[in-house]
Amino acid sequence: MLCEEVLKKLRAFSSGELAPDVRQAVQAHLKGCVTCRSALERVDVLAGALADVQTPPVPARLAARVMAAARERQARPVTAWNPLRWWRLASSPIHVAAAAVLVVGLALGLAMGWTTLSAPRTAPTQEVAQADPLDAYNVDYLGDAPAGSLADSYLSLVSDRNGEVQ
Amino acid sequence: MPSDEELMSAVAGGDLDAFEEIVLRHQSDAWRVAWRFIGDAAEAEDLVQEAFLRILDAAPRYRPTASFRTYLFRVLNRVCIDHARRMRPAATDSLPDHADGSPSPAQQASLSEREALIQAALDTLPGDQRMALVLRYFEGISGTEMAEAMGRSVKAVERLLSRARASLEPRLRGLF
Repeated sequence: MLCEEVLKKLRAFSSGELAPDVRQAVQAHLKGCVTCRSALERVDVLAGALADVQTPPVPARLAARVMAAARERQARPVTAWNPLRWWRLASSPIHVAAAAVLVVGLALGLAMGWTTLSAPRTAPTQEVAQADPLDAYNVDYLGDAPAGSLADSYLSLVSDRNGEVQ
Repeated sequence: MPSDEELMSAVAGGDLDAFEEIVLRHQSDAWRVAWRFIGDAAEAEDLVQEAFLRILDAAPRYRPTASFRTYLFRVLNRVCIDHARRMRPAATDSLPDHADGSPSPAQQASLSEREALIQAALDTLPGDQRMALVLRYFEGISGTEMAEAMGRSVKAVERLLSRARASLEPRLRGLF
């Protein structure tokens, strides 16, 4: 690429708007051309300063290393229940279904809690206290006791008929 | 030759040969970004491996909404920022990676003096600013693509770049 072409592309170069192949061509030119680098520095100081910086080549073993780890990961049996891993591997419909179950559960919980809170609070023990003691304690069979019997005497003691002549 | 999207579809079905093709195609991009971000070869390899393995795990959920390269940068960005946070929890997004701003011995050995100084200057930036700078100046990607890769708005990444420039320009101006 010629200087004239490169100079026209410097602004697009510094804002990352060039296609990868054009960018590579501009970059290759900049590495060997002080004039164009100076021009780039005027457009964007940092772009000019970093234009000829080299990055070390990709390590030869990198892909093999990644693939070894990938094969190991695929071969590893899933022995333990791991919710996080399950969640990562699950597909979108399962995520949606899980979220729906959660929402329905929360809604039911809220509805039940609301029903309990808004229900009238009565004290059944009061009714028991005011009821007839004979009914309350299931001793109503004593009510038919003949006059003067032991049962009748007991009833006289526990009720307001104490000493009353029938 | 199958497209990246076709390969990812095969990877989702458990095809490791397709995954290997993806790795071979994109390892250079991943390597450049990781190396520039972290400045250390061994750590950069770990980051690249982690990013590709995350892509393998997530293959069944991959949807080609952007180019695969942008997706790779998005995963790599997350891996790099997580790594920076784990390494220096107190320093995340605020303090330099090297307290005195000087390159590590490993960096000194592998880089020329000028490049070591550039890397040291990059290391003084918070993780998100450093990533923005790497994507723009070393990968040459546009604001829209950067926004996709970094999960931010275009304005937000331009602000990151602006802050990164403001902090680096005075240091680098002296080098040239």
